[in-house]
Amino acid sequence: MSTRTTWAVQRVPEVSGGVRLLATALSAILALIVAGIVLRLCGLPPLALGARVLHASFGTRFGIEDLLLLASPLAACGLSVAVMLRVGLWNIGAEGQFFVGATGAAAVGLFLPVGGTGTTLALMALAAAAGGALWIALPAAARLVLGTSEIITTLLLNFVARLLVDFLATGSWRDARSSVTAQTPRIHAAFAKLPRDWHLGGLHWGIALVIALAAVVALLFRYTSWGFELRVCGANREAARYAGMPVGRRLAEAMLLGGALAGLGGMIELAGTVHRLQGGLSNSYGYVGIIVAVLAAAAPVGVLFSALLMAVVLNAGTVLQTQGLPASAAVALVGLILLFVAMGERLSHYRIAVIRPRATPAGTGSAAAASGAAE
Amino acid sequence: MVIGPVGAPGTLAPRPLVAMRGITKSFYGTLANDGVDFDLRAGEIHALLGENGAGKSTLMNVLTGLYQPDAGEILIENHPRRLDNPAAAIEAGIGMVHQHFKLVQNFTVAENIHLGWEETPRRAGAAALEARTQALSERFGLPVTPGARVADIPVGEQQRVEILRVLARGARVLVLDEPTAVLTPSEVAALFTALRGFRADGNAVILISHKLGEVLEIADHVTVMRGGRSVAQCPAAGASRASLARLIIGDLPPSGRAVAAPLPDVEPVEPRADPDPLPARDVADPAASRRPSAPPGIAATAGAGPSVPHPAPTMVLREVSVRDARGVTLLDRVSIEIMPGELLGIAGVAGNGQRPLAEVMTGLLAPSEGELLLDGASMRGIGPRGFASRGVGHMPEDRLRTGLAATLPQGENALLREYHLPPSTRFGWLFDPAGARRLARGIINAAAVNRRDPSIPARNLSGGNQQRLVAERETRISHRLLVAAYPTRGLDVGAVAALHAAMHRLRARGVAVVLISEEIEELLDHADRIAVLCAGRISGILPVAEADPEKLGLLMSGQSLASGAPVSA
Repeated sequence: MSTRTTWAVQRVPEVSGGVRLLATALSAILALIVAGIVLRLCGLPPLALGARVLHASFGTRFGIEDLLLLASPLAACGLSVAVMLRVGLWNIGAEGQFFVGATGAAAVGLFLPVGGTGTTLALMALAAAAGGALWIALPAAARLVLGTSEIITTLLLNFVARLLVDFLATGSWRDARSSVTAQTPRIHAAFAKLPRDWHLGGLHWGIALVIALAAVVALLFRYTSWGFELRVCGANREAARYAGMPVGRRLAEAMLLGGALAGLGGMIELAGTVHRLQGGLSNSYGYVGIIVAVLAAAAPVGVLFSALLMAVVLNAGTVLQTQGLPASAAVALVGLILLFVAMGERLSHYRIAVIRPRATPAGTGSAAAASGAAE
Repeated sequence: MVIGPVGAPGTLAPRPLVAMRGITKSFYGTLANDGVDFDLRAGEIHALLGENGAGKSTLMNVLTGLYQPDAGEILIENHPRRLDNPAAAIEAGIGMVHQHFKLVQNFTVAENIHLGWEETPRRAGAAALEARTQALSERFGLPVTPGARVADIPVGEQQRVEILRVLARGARVLVLDEPTAVLTPSEVAALFTALRGFRADGNAVILISHKLGEVLEIADHVTVMRGGRSVAQCPAAGASRASLARLIIGDLPPSGRAVAAPLPDVEPVEPRADPDPLPARDVADPAASRRPSAPPGIAATAGAGPSVPHPAPTMVLREVSVRDARGVTLLDRVSIEIMPGELLGIAGVAGNGQRPLAEVMTGLLAPSEGELLLDGASMRGIGPRGFASRGVGHMPEDRLRTGLAATLPQGENALLREYHLPPSTRFGWLFDPAGARRLARGIINAAAVNRRDPSIPARNLSGGNQQRLVAERETRISHRLLVAAYPTRGLDVGAVAALHAAMHRLRARGVAVVLISEEIEELLDHADRIAVLCAGRISGILPVAEADPEKLGLLMSGQSLASGAPVSA
């Protein structure tokens, strides 16, 4: 028995949801502090910049509207990643599925001669979902038949999708009447704006569609035996097979659904905000969507909130750009947050136990008193 | 333990090359090695025998520096040595060849030999390495093709490469773990020739094997381990297969922990409990947990009782063979009939087809050939879900990898078999979380798991409680048959008793039970008939009244019984 107070790090097998949430929040704040220190070293005032970011995001009605417009494609991509995480697969290809979904929607919007906006929008959505699903069909087949890692295949197809969009936007689908050479003509079928008296006049119904998608996915997860099967397949495929679940089929379904959701995200961005197919349609939404899903622990409704958070971070990037920092600063910030949250998740399983010697003046006689310091 | 100089015939080496003294090693409170003494002399081939889990691998991992013993010491040529890691063991001249080779498949034989070896020349081309390999190959009498890729050479040659790797590093003690398991008979003969040559140079070999015939053929000395202890050391010359089988299974009174004297030849085995022919057991009595009499239908199976009306067998396997993707035969023309209310024991050394047999019986594996009938109906094309819905339960041998989704809450694990049925699911798709939770709570309570909160991840339960949960979940659906693979592995006495009682309750209700076990005693105590698996085949099926450890041991080592002992079909 030592006579000095010592301490030890102990692992705790179970962590409550509250502790985990606290760990996530603390980690994100720590990441911001580190980012602030870096800014300070660059000679910029971090607090003033932070205030400017907050003002730009929440200070005005336009700021809030912009934030929501930015959050909706992030949420769609985040949902796509979350659905695949449910079965334990990583969708690094939401970016590509987003582009191909937008391409499908643009094809309908540009070339299908139908009357009503509603019908056109519905067909655009279908085409987008089909496009996104098509884009992940090859990785899905490779995964199921050959066991090829979907992380690699989905990632690589992103570049193909981006090149496909550039090819169309600068080639056969190019807007001949415009001086801008890398975009298609305007697509006239568009989401209607939200009612004026909601005081969010800059927003369109596509945002409601994203929220509805999150709700549907949440209901599927919770209230169908299919959702239960996805969860078991994600936790232990061997056990799922043993329990008689069609494992391969469930993996394929989750992958196709994930692709379709990202594709729908592309359609919503196209028909709600951009209205033209172009290479700059996605501001890395598919990649940021991975972080959105991870921050939300793959919970569909949580995705909506983490998408908002990531929208603030992307806004911060815009503000930083006006201060002379490169646009990639925002991406670095995103990476920093992910790194810290991942570490926080791990560390939340540990606590520091203080071991006091027996002869304490208080005379409690207890050999060890533990103080839980969760981080 | 003391071995008299009577020891190895021929050699009279006064002190051992390697002496392990009082080696003790525990894992999570289980003693894997309990004060083990082990002596190895120069110029001998020493067989290390014992059932799986007897502590052989732990002892060898201590000797090769992978584990550090909690207590005890290792003397090499009478000098205490600390073997902190495998490199230290190799430096001390001890090399191990594992059962699963640790070669780089894409490298050539020569590259594998020279990988991570300090004597490898700094700047040497492929030709130089191959020439060095050729020289080593000739020196040790182990023919290999230096320039071939390891992935392209047969298994026997891969093993020679592995041995050469160890010998090239100056090993004087070679530890071989089940070296012949993957070899053809001619490759075995070549291996033995090489080992004898190695021995003739004054080196020593430790051979872990389950094949008693081989042990008697090549070994000079035998050490038998059981339950983490060394229970016998004797010269191979005086032993017989039967005597070794008995030592391994452990029918000797466990009074003397080390039997150092040369083994007396086989004594008549004392009858365990006389096979009292109980009157037909009261079906309503679930407490009959010891040695039940033969259930109805056994006589019919044995083909001896023509007057008894034949009850239809619950499951029939007819010439069932299973091959894996590479065409290796896992099960070889297995034919079994399992009667309603029968507890059929499956004995055998692990890895002889138990897993494929359990998987075939529960629909996880489809037979490559042959036919499987459940209640008279062919099960061709029916998967695990179909087997379960027809009343076949399965306690898999690896509960954490197969039986449970360890990271999910125990509540969801409890539902694994019934999540898609009412009250968890309505209309076949609508999951009802409240109903599911009620059912999960019911299963958890009935399983008597010590922590009742359904949201606890299954991995945070102890092994015994995990098994209770699996047992309850599977017995619930076992209306016709329960296949239980090593269900008592790692359980404490109370959990084992509860599990056996549950199996007997099923049996009393007319459910057939297949109990796969390595523990002969467990099978003799609980089974009605015992089938023995060896190399994917049924080497014999005995009614329990005719079975004893010796006969089972012989069958487990792949021999048929002598003419006196009847083998029922």
